[in-house]
Amino acid sequence: MDNKQLFSSYEKLPSTWDEMYCDNAEFRAQYSGFIEYLKKTSPEKLTKKEDLSKQLFMSQGVTFTVYNDNEGIEKIFPFDIVPRIITAEEWDKIEKGIKQRLKALNLFIKDIYNEQFIIKDGLIPAELIYSCPNFLREMKGVKVPYDVYVHISGVDLIRNNDGEFYVLEDNLRTPSGVSYMLENREISKRLFPGILPKSNVRSVSNYPNMLYKKLKELSNIANPNIVLLTPGIYNSAYYEHTTLARLMGIELVEGSDLVVKNHFVYMKTTNGLKQVDIIYRRVDDDFLDPLEFNATSVLGVAGIMAAYRKGNVNIVNAPGTGIADDKAIYIYVPDMIKYYLNEEPILKNIETYQLGRPDELEYVTKNIKDMVIKKTDGSGGYGMLMGHEATDAEIKDYLDNVKKNPSGFIAQPILRLSTAPCYINGQLSPRCIDLRPFALSGKDGIDICPGGLTRVALKKGSLVVNSSQGGGSKDTWVLQ
Amino acid sequence: MLSRVANNLIWLDRYMERGNGILSLLTVNFYANQDSPELFSWTPIINNFTTSENEFYTEDAIKCIDFMVLNVSNSNSILNIVTKARENARSVQEHISRELWLCINNYYLYLTNKDLSRRLREEDPVQFLEDLRKHHLIYYGTADITQERGAAYNFMNVGKFLERVIQISDFTALKLIEIGKTSDSLEKGFYWKNLLLSVGGYQLYLKTHKSTFNEDHIISMVFQDKLFPRSVYYCVNKLSRHINQLIESNELEKNNLEFLLGKLESSIKYTTIESINAQGLNNYIEGIKDDIRNISLNINSVYFSNTN
Repeated sequence: MDNKQLFSSYEKLPSTWDEMYCDNAEFRAQYSGFIEYLKKTSPEKLTKKEDLSKQLFMSQGVTFTVYNDNEGIEKIFPFDIVPRIITAEEWDKIEKGIKQRLKALNLFIKDIYNEQFIIKDGLIPAELIYSCPNFLREMKGVKVPYDVYVHISGVDLIRNNDGEFYVLEDNLRTPSGVSYMLENREISKRLFPGILPKSNVRSVSNYPNMLYKKLKELSNIANPNIVLLTPGIYNSAYYEHTTLARLMGIELVEGSDLVVKNHFVYMKTTNGLKQVDIIYRRVDDDFLDPLEFNATSVLGVAGIMAAYRKGNVNIVNAPGTGIADDKAIYIYVPDMIKYYLNEEPILKNIETYQLGRPDELEYVTKNIKDMVIKKTDGSGGYGMLMGHEATDAEIKDYLDNVKKNPSGFIAQPILRLSTAPCYINGQLSPRCIDLRPFALSGKDGIDICPGGLTRVALKKGSLVVNSSQGGGSKDTWVLQ
Repeated sequence: MLSRVANNLIWLDRYMERGNGILSLLTVNFYANQDSPELFSWTPIINNFTTSENEFYTEDAIKCIDFMVLNVSNSNSILNIVTKARENARSVQEHISRELWLCINNYYLYLTNKDLSRRLREEDPVQFLEDLRKHHLIYYGTADITQERGAAYNFMNVGKFLERVIQISDFTALKLIEIGKTSDSLEKGFYWKNLLLSVGGYQLYLKTHKSTFNEDHIISMVFQDKLFPRSVYYCVNKLSRHINQLIESNELEKNNLEFLLGKLESSIKYTTIESINAQGLNNYIEGIKDDIRNISLNINSVYFSNTN
């Protein structure tokens, strides 16, 4: 049975790269296997699979709790059943590009907290570094094992209409979403039995083992005590914390489970205090240590930074890595790659205007309808102005705000995020997507799990893929 | 094991055991209440599981079951108990088997289904309660088959048997109040039979003593039977075994705990039915409850003692 109407209403967006269709409306080769499957499958069956995916997320507890009037409601991160498919060739470039970029960024962090050659050589102005809220003076001169600061990263990529991948932002602090990479794949296995092996899709299930290995290598001890520090059950990524702890076989701890004594970190067990060697923390820098940062934080551990500086405990990622994924620093990453590695950047940056520079502010103001303006220290898709959909009054308000502290803002041309087919209301429709591969850096270099989190803007025409604003996700297939 | 984890495991099983007890009590009382509402009213049950601030009372069976199972403001409603059990399970996932977590998560999702309240109103209430109870039985079976016999298992069982002793004592005390109000021996018999049904011992009693209700037999079965899994004797035995295993593996400190446990064990094992009758069953139960409370406090202190 042919299922042609599934494709008949697929309206490609103008001047946008589509992951499934070529310009001449032919299917791209990497999708051919899955399309063949779709054509043989009735819409009723696909809708059933969509329902099944929702049930599976719920029954496996892949949920986050939204609290309303003291009543917790379990929500799932919306999932689109059609996988996003990446060719081996495309992946090869992504992999090389991210490795190069992380290498440079890690060297940059080391440099900034030590000799600061990059400032002395005049590449980056000192005031930019020191005015950045994510710069931690507490990290100056701190020696970290194997000079690795960013152990876990989730670089966000988008594909522009030229077909090239661009880096949208480098998430170098506590990037989340990796559990969805794992869970989406488990669900795909159940939704499409037999299709994954037939399509030669690379497995992602090794990620927890890779992560454990990278963490363990940081210590000289044969069996270091590694824990995962979570902010607790109210955190929206709590599911991820429990999953990673379970899959690595390590203890999930909260700040109140830990205590610092004589500059060593211990966890409170039924057998008394037990020393902790490595902490994979999912608590932000600000909340890590009430003695040094946010004094009201109950999520962290008092004295942990002092223990860290003495080398008695490892904290992963290192505190202070936020200096390198600040949006104002982002502009300098291509220069960093040349400066530290003497290489040309493999992955491009998105053209970015610094509103602290009067000429660039003027240019952006003139072309504001084609611009998106962001705060340099913002994240999660909040505090942005999308020029093409804002009213004149909104633009005026926003610009008034910008003028108070222009260097706190950057602008980028509105991007044409590539689209991928999504199964919506019984038909395939194109929706904008991005890609977050997860990279692990350690003693022996950088490993990237062949896959990642593809986030999708499920609202028609929307460019915002953030889960807090109507975004969902897809399984990401990297072909062999 | 983290002290917080130990505490969460104890409470996970306490809540699950409590839920199971409440459901079987509701089922038994439903049948009895349809026979003789004047003897088996709902108010004592509501009283037993709510605080003194509770203002909700009803003698309508369905409304009471709804309150005891689905009401959000009743902190001991099955919905709230299972929500708390799930929260405990969720934060100790690396210590319990995957199957056990999925089991409790599915139970929670089942309870939050908006259609449940309608089903209770329009369909067979006994089936409604039995469907819920099935989740507890699956929970017990899953824990038994999938959980390794380490510290986590022992802490969970400590919670389970602590709660079970408390429930048996509570259920018995509840019936004693009713029994004390009547001089009719037939009515007394009804109450005793109801107690056996509530703790799930009716079948065993019939097998052992046939259909003659003798107070002493019932008391000794509920408190002293060695083979009945919901007798106080059996539960205290299990409790002692799991606590001793935890002491042996240095997960619990023995000092006071060993003493308290020994005291409770001897009052269960070496007390004759005559001496129970001599001191009054009520006093005997109060003594057991005191001991259990002290043991529970002593174990709880594990959670707080290592905090510095």
